[in-house]
Amino acid sequence: MADALHTLSAAELGRRLAAGTLTSRALCEALITRYKALNETVGAFTHLDQADVLAQADASDARRKAGQGRGPLEGIPVAIKDNIAVKGQPLTCSSKMLASLVSPYDSHVAERLCAVGAILYGRLNMDEFAMGSSTENSALRKTFNPWDLARIPGGSSGGSAAALAAGLVPLSLGSDTGGSIRQPASHCGVVGLKPTYGLISRFGLVAFASSLDQIGPMARSIEDCELLLNALASADARDMTCFGPSDRALTPSGDAKKLRIGIPKGFLGKGVAAEVAAAVNAAVEFYRAQGCAISEVELPSADLAVPTYYVVATAEASSNLGRYDGVRYGHRSTSAGTPVEMMTASRSEGFGPEVKRRILLGTFVLSAGYADAYYVRALRARAKIRSEYLAALAGVDVLLTPTVPTPAFKVGEKASDPLQLYLEDIFTIPANLAGLPALSVPCGKSGHLPVGFHLVGAPLSEAKLLAAGRLFEAAHGFAHQQAAL
Amino acid sequence: MAEGFDIDHLAKLARLSLTAEEKVLYSSQLNQILGHFQALADADLPATIDDARVVNEAALRSDEPGPVLGAEAVTRIAPASRDGQISVPRVVDDES
Repeated sequence: MADALHTLSAAELGRRLAAGTLTSRALCEALITRYKALNETVGAFTHLDQADVLAQADASDARRKAGQGRGPLEGIPVAIKDNIAVKGQPLTCSSKMLASLVSPYDSHVAERLCAVGAILYGRLNMDEFAMGSSTENSALRKTFNPWDLARIPGGSSGGSAAALAAGLVPLSLGSDTGGSIRQPASHCGVVGLKPTYGLISRFGLVAFASSLDQIGPMARSIEDCELLLNALASADARDMTCFGPSDRALTPSGDAKKLRIGIPKGFLGKGVAAEVAAAVNAAVEFYRAQGCAISEVELPSADLAVPTYYVVATAEASSNLGRYDGVRYGHRSTSAGTPVEMMTASRSEGFGPEVKRRILLGTFVLSAGYADAYYVRALRARAKIRSEYLAALAGVDVLLTPTVPTPAFKVGEKASDPLQLYLEDIFTIPANLAGLPALSVPCGKSGHLPVGFHLVGAPLSEAKLLAAGRLFEAAHGFAHQQAAL
Repeated sequence: MAEGFDIDHLAKLARLSLTAEEKVLYSSQLNQILGHFQALADADLPATIDDARVVNEAALRSDEPGPVLGAEAVTRIAPASRDGQISVPRVVDDES
């Protein structure tokens, strides 16, 4: 049985653990064996403390034996993106700047996972400080798409998606500032949810762009994604944007066959690969055949989303990353003279090229003489985009688009062209700008490469998105899919 | 919109030291990206700016002391420390 454990869903593993036919130690040992065999090939993890994992598993098994199990995630491993703090574990953000940092505290989501008995299972690779769409910006290692090892897994939560697609772990956490959960989920054939802004506390998430950042669940099925979401949503005064669990977001909604689905005009046209458009159109026809009302909606300012995002996100990043000055933690240059020289040298040595590029861009759009032309106009465009999305969602329950315009590209293919890479997120960015929940659901293949569709809903409509995803998943063969490795 | 772009000034503001090659590369890339931002200059936009939050249920927590990391935990992750305090290069000259 041990050989097949990596193919099972978290829900099924939970049932076997509850029935006493499986122990958390046996599960973790099987996954560690798979990690040893495959992680060098896939590169999903940057760190796995095997002794700590087995100690957590033994503690979980002991709790269960004593009748003190903590629910459906008791004993289930959850791997964590390396920008989410777990006390005593590395917190590198895949950056040289934080390469030697060990977190002195737990994030709120780590506390939540411990509270429900989950196993905190290793650190996942990412684009440096979550800036990127391919995980090629990691300073620590390369991560490859398990479906085609010559291609990128997406990013910035590339390790989180690749670990699932390779069967290295049943559940993972990502963070999403402009699509960093959903885009890699689409490229790796797994499910990824960016919750409503404020549903999950970011306490202990290393800040990139605070008005956009959200932590979210990733899994190989809708059911597993929902299990993890329910464990994470909880009130936390340490993140003032966090409003805590919401019955509206988490209670299963009504009949998904009665959903009204809006298709944004023009979103399946220019720039979308033919096989991606075909897979997404097939999903639309599936919903129509199920009885859903399909209509076209207008989002006239959609073209403004990418420039708006890259002004707002880089402005906030340039401010948030000001804290890396070589003083309190992180890399300090040894060539230091004066304090200012020390700060400048530490930052120049510690940050990689994409992070420097975004800091420079963010510094420019906030600088005297330019802030009104860039930053303030971007905030006004953001208000317009948000207003258009909310207006569209007043008439339909969800909006359906591709998650990404094209399948996963080859490693290095877009490395020298940052603007082309920024356009990867064209469909995912608006949900962050508008604070809306959004879900990527596997819906087919382009050749051998996974394709996903993207659902966006009104604030706190997570249950509707998941219900729509479940309806599709139940009728198709994409749940629990893994690459053959 | 990108008129007046000065990579040296930006690098100074951002506390980054760039090589000559980096200055050329970043200047070119930033100009390309800023060109893409032209759409913002051309757009008809509302005068209002709203909050990023979509659910106005969050509230400020009470202003009371809570748990903090102790000096030992803080200095353990600091690049340099001495006597329970973080060390930095000399800030004030002996003469001053």
